[in-house]
Amino acid sequence: MAKIVVDPITRIEGHLRIEAQVEGGKITDAWAAGTMWRGIETILKGRDPRDAWTFVSRICGV
Amino acid sequence: MAGSIYHHLLSRGVTRRDFLKFCSATAATLGLSSSMVPQIAEALEKKERPSVVWLHFQECTGDSESVLRASKPSIAKVILDIVSLDYHETIMAPSGHAAEKSLHDTITKKKGKYIAVYEGAVPTKDGGIYCFVGGKKSIDTCKEVAAGAMANIAVGNCACFGGVPAAKPNPTEAKGIRDIIGGTVLNIPGCPMNPENFTAVVVHFLTFGSLPALDSLGRPLFAYGKLIHNNCERRPHFDQGQFVRQWGDQGHRLGWCLYEMGCKGPMAFQNCPTIRWNEGTSWPVQAGHPCIACATPDNWDAAYPFYQRMKAVPGVGWQANADKIGLGVAAATAAAVAAHGAIRAAKRRKECSKSEDEGHE
Repeated sequence: MAKIVVDPITRIEGHLRIEAQVEGGKITDAWAAGTMWRGIETILKGRDPRDAWTFVSRICGV
Repeated sequence: MAGSIYHHLLSRGVTRRDFLKFCSATAATLGLSSSMVPQIAEALEKKERPSVVWLHFQECTGDSESVLRASKPSIAKVILDIVSLDYHETIMAPSGHAAEKSLHDTITKKKGKYIAVYEGAVPTKDGGIYCFVGGKKSIDTCKEVAAGAMANIAVGNCACFGGVPAAKPNPTEAKGIRDIIGGTVLNIPGCPMNPENFTAVVVHFLTFGSLPALDSLGRPLFAYGKLIHNNCERRPHFDQGQFVRQWGDQGHRLGWCLYEMGCKGPMAFQNCPTIRWNEGTSWPVQAGHPCIACATPDNWDAAYPFYQRMKAVPGVGWQANADKIGLGVAAATAAAVAAHGAIRAAKRRKECSKSEDEGHE
């Protein structure tokens, strides 16, 4: 049983990690993790809804 | 010279004419006389491409996208060709261990010879656990890469001043690069930054061997030395008290001043009105939206709410820069100046409501 870790996954930004468990040449289990957190939901609390787009449009610029 | 930036550009199909146009445009952005164009051209003809390590922390990759969409002339090529982008997570081919190796090889083999570019803020709360790349905390990677860099450039408001992740209540205690590594960091803020300012900084560095003159916030003066409000094409409407009062009203259709709709141009320093975006096509105010002061520290709170009128417009002269007047509304400008501004603003409001009455229905 082997475990493969690919981190960073590039070309979609860098903040993604994939772990895969391999048994007999087959992937039997896998985990994906976003490895960056900013808390934009928390930042938006209490703000004017009309301003929300300016923040949430910055979640991803790709 | 083989191996030079110029040679590289020629091999990628950029013509001599386009190359010189690029040199002229960059000289103009830098505020240099056209007599400097030959010096810029000569530097790019002789110098090898500097190695660049581009790191992503708490960001949206908007600044990378901004650069990838740079255009003047076919600058998507130039910007990517005047530098040797040795590590950039969004566009590099290797992933995982191979990507980590690229970074490691560059910072060890080219120690003291690479330019480090940072995109995104660095979280410091709970030991910096809110951003990992390749299993490493961004705060550690940032310090490691900065230690061997010949120049550190922060692009976008997040890397410069914390930006969106640092907006109240700043859940991850995000900070700009300067607050993490100290020393000289050249800041090219904006949300996103304007790619032409980035190109101009790199060309300046290659031509003169130094970074351009900076203000106290680490921003190059050629790009952030002037107030948007003073260079805005809608400024005559401000002076005449012609304001947009409602989205889509007559004033909005006629391109009047957006101050009443919340425009933060009077506190924002950047060259948007001059160089604009997308090959000089437009910029937010020209498109009819108020400025949100995206190159200003803490703009997500200091310029907030974005659709509410600034309480006062600081009275500033044409030659003022951020260091001379402080940071607009947030700064305590001299009482006399403030009073002067308030009187003028009140006068304008009066004139404005008069013209509104006349201008509508």
